[in-house]
Amino acid sequence: MSSHSDATDLSAHSGARPRWQWWAIGVGAVAFGFFLGWALLQLVQQRPFGPPNFHGTVIQSDTPTHNFTLTDQTGARVSLTDFRGKVVLLYFGYTYCPDVCPATLRDLARVKQALGSAGGDLQVVMVSLDPARDTPAHLAEYLAYFDPSFVGLTGSENEIAAAATPLGIFYEKHAGTVATGYLIDHTASVLALDRGGRVRLVYPFNTPPAAIAADMRYLLRD
Amino acid sequence: MSSNLAHNPGARRSIEQPTRLLNPMRVVYVLLSLLVVGVLAFATLRPVQVLPRIRLAPGFLLTDAYGGRLTNEDMRGRLTLYNFTRTRCEAPCPQTSQVMQAVQARLGEIETDLPIELVTISLDPEYDTPAALQAYAQKWQADPQRWHLVTGDAERLKWIVGGGFGVYYAFKEDGRFTFDPAFMLVDGAGILRAEYRTASPDVDRILRDLRLVVQEVENSTGAARYAYEAAHLFLCYPRG
Repeated sequence: MSSHSDATDLSAHSGARPRWQWWAIGVGAVAFGFFLGWALLQLVQQRPFGPPNFHGTVIQSDTPTHNFTLTDQTGARVSLTDFRGKVVLLYFGYTYCPDVCPATLRDLARVKQALGSAGGDLQVVMVSLDPARDTPAHLAEYLAYFDPSFVGLTGSENEIAAAATPLGIFYEKHAGTVATGYLIDHTASVLALDRGGRVRLVYPFNTPPAAIAADMRYLLRD
Repeated sequence: MSSNLAHNPGARRSIEQPTRLLNPMRVVYVLLSLLVVGVLAFATLRPVQVLPRIRLAPGFLLTDAYGGRLTNEDMRGRLTLYNFTRTRCEAPCPQTSQVMQAVQARLGEIETDLPIELVTISLDPEYDTPAALQAYAQKWQADPQRWHLVTGDAERLKWIVGGGFGVYYAFKEDGRFTFDPAFMLVDGAGILRAEYRTASPDVDRILRDLRLVVQEVENSTGAARYAYEAAHLFLCYPRG
């Protein structure tokens, strides 16, 4: 303590500081710089800033998306608003889909696995674009193969069109082979809805599960 | 201990040097204020301007004037301006296709390889057969490569235009047709970037908005992507 005051006396006299003080100030500045950087990072990850680097395409809508009511795999009527409070990964597909849908559902199961216990509030929902073949029972059997927590929704042609159209989902039946029956071309994006039912992120087909999981960690913190 | 250090030659050198300008606290203050000024300047001067990503544009499958099909997936990777009308729309019915024609004529001003297209959705599928749409295309000198005139099943149209684009229209019981004139700008990812809810929007403004999206698509690669994301973060939207 006394030597400290010696040094300050000296610097006060000569108008400069001894070398050890420069070192202390340098170390302090670097530490302060690290702290500032860390604080800025924390700030940036809080609402309303959002993380600077979502993997999906960010949508800035501050109003919840349209509601729809369909039938789930247990036969119960379920509305999109029933999932408020949860983060929803919404996907439109069908169970006879030969490659794109199983790949996507497998990836979404991996997202949930990657999140572990943090993923308790993450709900994967698949809306069927093929109500003629996707009965609730068939959806239940199909989705259990990927993850028993997944919700499958189906309904009448009109109900499904009303649910899918405003979310940018195109779909169209076309002939397949005798083995596959008809096929359905469809938009294969995955949509992420936050706890308030707002569409926040859009993922193109084949987005790596790790990228989706990283974004979900953020949405789940809100 | 420290007084020893203070008297060694190294310390003496530092005493002899003029150090006023490089006072470390001053450096920290300057850096901090630069950061604050930088953020403020970015948010107020908006060197990088973007259009908001408003919401998803609807999915659709419609029929064009030549009997072909047009889907929202066909427009993926293309910048598209939509309007909504019917071919029987005559004055005083608002002539929104006049604006589309003016935009079409000026698209050459935007230098880009990015496809920019126009889509007119007819809300009157009963009357607007492909032949009617073709006549309408001729009336407005629509470039068939660039300007698509489409319609579809009446019920689906209500979901697409009413539910998806949020544009009101109705066939009244007395046979009158009313609609809210609107233009929608949708980017290549199928996201609505601008809506002009008027019959006579400023064509200059539509062109400026098209340019903004083109610039974002062309420039937001690598490190510039962060500048563009920051622009979205700080709501750096064009004024007016």
